[in-house]
Amino acid sequence: MRPFAKRTRLCAVAVGLLAVTVGCTTRGSDAGQSAAGPDKKDVSSVKVAFVPGGPHPYFQPWKAAADQVKADFKVGGTVFDETSQWDQAKQNSALNSLASQGYNAMGIFGVSPTDINSTFTDLKAKGITVASLGSCPAGDKDEADFCLSTDVGEAAYKAAKTAIEAMNGTGKLVHLTGNNVDANTQRRIAGVQKAVDETGGKVSILTTIPDIDKDLQTAQKAVADLLSAQGNQIQGIVTTAYNPAVAAAAGVKSAGLPIKVVAIDDDATILAGIKDGSVAATIAQNPTGQAYVGGWALAQLATGACTMATPGTTVDSGSFVITKTNVDTYDTERKAKTTQLTEQFKSSVLKCS
Amino acid sequence: MTLQVLRRSLADQRTGLVLLLVLLVVVFGSLIPTFFDDRFVVFPLLRDVATLTVVGLAQLAVLSIGHLNIAVGRMAAFGAMFMGLAYEQWHLPLYAGLVIGVAAGAAIGALTGLIITSSGVNSFVVTLAMDFALLGFVSLVYSELTTSAAFTTKPAGMQELRTFSLADVCVGPVCGTSAIPQLAIFAVLAMLAVGYLYSRARTGREMLMVGSNAVAAELSGIPVDRRIVGAHALSGGLAALAGFMLAVTSGSFTATIGSEFMLPSFLGPVLGGTLLTGGAVSIIGTFLGTSLTQVIRQGLTMLGASVQSLSISLGIILLAALSLDRVRQVISERKAVRR
Repeated sequence: MRPFAKRTRLCAVAVGLLAVTVGCTTRGSDAGQSAAGPDKKDVSSVKVAFVPGGPHPYFQPWKAAADQVKADFKVGGTVFDETSQWDQAKQNSALNSLASQGYNAMGIFGVSPTDINSTFTDLKAKGITVASLGSCPAGDKDEADFCLSTDVGEAAYKAAKTAIEAMNGTGKLVHLTGNNVDANTQRRIAGVQKAVDETGGKVSILTTIPDIDKDLQTAQKAVADLLSAQGNQIQGIVTTAYNPAVAAAAGVKSAGLPIKVVAIDDDATILAGIKDGSVAATIAQNPTGQAYVGGWALAQLATGACTMATPGTTVDSGSFVITKTNVDTYDTERKAKTTQLTEQFKSSVLKCS
Repeated sequence: MTLQVLRRSLADQRTGLVLLLVLLVVVFGSLIPTFFDDRFVVFPLLRDVATLTVVGLAQLAVLSIGHLNIAVGRMAAFGAMFMGLAYEQWHLPLYAGLVIGVAAGAAIGALTGLIITSSGVNSFVVTLAMDFALLGFVSLVYSELTTSAAFTTKPAGMQELRTFSLADVCVGPVCGTSAIPQLAIFAVLAMLAVGYLYSRARTGREMLMVGSNAVAAELSGIPVDRRIVGAHALSGGLAALAGFMLAVTSGSFTATIGSEFMLPSFLGPVLGGTLLTGGAVSIIGTFLGTSLTQVIRQGLTMLGASVQSLSISLGIILLAALSLDRVRQVISERKAVRR
């Protein structure tokens, strides 16, 4: 130890003791400061925060949707905060900071599906209205008021069915996906498996490659290795994560192999691939609808104008198969789904007085 | 005499850290009206500081002998995995699981130390290899034994540990502050234990001597290999404790626990005055260094810094903190020479 460590230690202990004693309370002094009651509030008193798990192209439409929510529903304020950096502890910190700044309604894409319920419980105990947007918690229980998300298992099933159809119902399929130790990835793997099982053995999964959604470079390397080693045996590739989708589309095109690729999301590169035929189809999701409808519902719940008919309800925000035939018109279908979602919330998900 | 004491205090790296910390708290507090909100800011901030201080102590244990532990995060995941197994598969109570997890962490740390001493390979290389091995092993266990890649069983008391503060500790009608989480007690106990080891116990002193000069230590009759294994075991055990604290904070035991531990594990001790080359450690400094980085992060987040500017600002401020400290050191050395 260094000289004067003793004095520094003493100072630190003194400061610590001071902090503890200054903050002492008398039992019962906090009573009555519980969460906000059911009194109706004006919508301008509601501030809605949209908090994704971290920076990702998927969430970019949330930004515009947040502005739209403010303009259309006259809420007190909206913010899009992507500082969570895909770490649950950092996300919790970001959420608490937003709460301290007066944001009393939050649409959250939880980083860790197995941990996010604890975060929801904490926030709700502090009187904050919470929605799980874009991803639902793992397990059967959702502690948020509602979950508005793509049914990831269903979307993966749809993608695999589309790939199998493009393969003429026979051959070997490869599944490229994201973080293996994530409950949503397990749901996707199960969705693809279900579609393959329905072929009665005509289609088999050659391999499932997880953990390649970290960045595009990782995905590109994995695709290059796969195509060089087993390219000739593969008839179809189904991707259920963004970076592998972009990498697979470009990799198959440059290798010139007759592999049918089914991608995820509607990134410009993938849409261009559909137009030039290198990508058979893609499954688009509805992030705009999630944030727009989710933001409106959060405002209704936070003002006390509405309550949940069944707390913790899960609503599918929709997934859409895009092929060459509807590549220019699919957005109309998606907007119609958003309108339908609003109606669904008004008629059955919320109970409004 | 007073001037001499003042000069010596100023030469102490930790004094600089305390001053910087106070300055930042005052600046952020005046810029952000809600910076002292105990429910949303101070309580979560101190919970994170507590966890990362233990992570810092885990790294400090190996830094004391002049080694590095690149696998500190993965050792946390390894220990936490055993805790999850204890709760979900063996249905053990909270603290029994904690003991098993910490023992598992200490065991993997000791194994790492044994590999280093028996092979003679650099600790950086061995812990890097251990990091990869544990990454695969921990992921494999989670994917084989769970459906959602996490142990989600919460033993009795875990929920309370996450949310309870000193306000729930009362003596008669007077209770503690609601700003300090009960989880921080684990960090205080770890600091006291590690502090005792390095300032009072012979073993700790011998570890520091190994860090200063391993050959001289060997010639003085210190069992160098045993001290190396001991330091790595301590590092593994503390990493597992930090894994437990993070799992309690987050809500479940997952394979990703500890994946963000590596950088903070070095920042706290190094900012606090622990030498990377071994031989000198600072436990209070580790706490102060960790607090400094977390206060900066919290303040910048609340000021609305974007994810990119947050990282850039954090890097610049830390660099400035280290440089200022160096400047202060040089000035005080020059003054000492002139006299």
